[in-house]
Amino acid sequence: MSKGSPKMVKRFSKPIIFVHWLNAAAFFVLYLSALPMYTEYFDWLYAVFGGPAGARLVHRIAAVFFVLPVVIILFADPKSFFHWIKQTVTWRKHDFEFFKEFPKEFFGFHAKVPKQDFYNAGEKVNSILTILTAAMLIISGFVMWFPQYFPRGVVMWAYPIHNIGLGLSAAVVIGHVYLSIGHPASKASFRGITKGDVPEEYAKAHHGRWYDELKEAEKKNNKRIG
Amino acid sequence: MAAEYLKFVDVTKCDGCRACMVACKNWNDLPPEYEEFQGSVQSHEKLTAHTWNILTFNEQETANGGFEWLFRHQSCLHCNQAGCEKACPEDAISHTKFGSVVIDSDKCVGCGYCVQGCQFDVISLATYKDKQGKEYRKAQKCTLCTDRLEEGLQPACVTACHTDCLIYDEREAVLSEANNRLAKIKDRFPNANIYNPEGINGTTTVYLLADKPSVYGLPENPKVALSQVVWKDYAQPLGKAMLGATTMAVIGAVISNSIVKAKNGDKGVDHHE
Repeated sequence: MSKGSPKMVKRFSKPIIFVHWLNAAAFFVLYLSALPMYTEYFDWLYAVFGGPAGARLVHRIAAVFFVLPVVIILFADPKSFFHWIKQTVTWRKHDFEFFKEFPKEFFGFHAKVPKQDFYNAGEKVNSILTILTAAMLIISGFVMWFPQYFPRGVVMWAYPIHNIGLGLSAAVVIGHVYLSIGHPASKASFRGITKGDVPEEYAKAHHGRWYDELKEAEKKNNKRIG
Repeated sequence: MAAEYLKFVDVTKCDGCRACMVACKNWNDLPPEYEEFQGSVQSHEKLTAHTWNILTFNEQETANGGFEWLFRHQSCLHCNQAGCEKACPEDAISHTKFGSVVIDSDKCVGCGYCVQGCQFDVISLATYKDKQGKEYRKAQKCTLCTDRLEEGLQPACVTACHTDCLIYDEREAVLSEANNRLAKIKDRFPNANIYNPEGINGTTTVYLLADKPSVYGLPENPKVALSQVVWKDYAQPLGKAMLGATTMAVIGAVISNSIVKAKNGDKGVDHHE
């Protein structure tokens, strides 16, 4: 990386950044208000929420804010949203090859990762799991919130689905948070979801195919101007 | 866990006096609940958090066009595989050595999962107010008078029963009595059966019913719900293990990254730099 101020490229829009953090904040409030029920080691958290009834209320308020980001982004920046969805379901050779090299990089060793898209294969997996677990949590959570409108068998299935959704999503979040702020090789990406831009060098190294697209677009632009 | 003692309800001996209901309210210090007239002699529609046993009055037409009531002393069956126990995320519901299923109200957080988990609509939530006037909920139901059993007494409902419809006795004695009674009443009640469902490993309250279970609103063949097995036996332990595994991987990565970094100086941490 060059010294001084490196050249930056835009990565995430303001609305995307906003809904990401709204969703993240809601997730943590949901997580904390559910944790005492999930495991007895966190029973003391009930006191923080003013008892189980308080925890349930906080959980329901946060649940609304957990769903809200999808609604907001559909109005504020649908283009970025659908770009994310499209990338997430697009899987090519370079995506699969990513996983051969990734464990080496994860544990700090030298790795030869093939050029990646705007979202690398790891981020795509994170996205898929996030969408999947969010769907599990939201649908089953809705059933649990309004059990009087659903047959008993459905309500009883909602409990394990909500539970599995929580276990999976918490595991995903631990990995996601670590890779964005903890892991030395991908720390730079954190700026993308706070300030909205990343060093060009970082884009080149971690998202080669996206970087190529950027260069391509730049060339066209220059030609047009020239 | 099969209890050594069972409660036996021979519905064909019941005369509908409701002494068991009164005895239960009395011993357990439960408040009266006033209900609108339901169009039947039955006093209360269903079990609630404050009414742990009721006598149901099923109105039936006999084969020759006559009328008869099918009485049933309805209360918790104390299933050996209890749906409420499996549903509880706080492990607040457990079996005692008497085979009774009891709620630890200190552990109960009032989430109501057990209400959905019970196939017999027995357990429900009671709402209380604390000193500050704040409301809180606790699951409540029949305890089989576990506090009395511990003192060598019988359940309150059993002691109140004047027709021996309710009996609390040794397991073998109860089961053989049930068979004897079944043989005796078969002529009058051809559909009579002993209700001690195998799908939930039997219950600590065994019924001799005069008609099919469904006539009494009981499930014909109750089973441990698959959703509960998935939840209690797989999802919960696996989820906790998975959180542990991810956390371990991250801790491992932190350590290994710092070791590699220390070895190579600053080179090699990121192949891109």
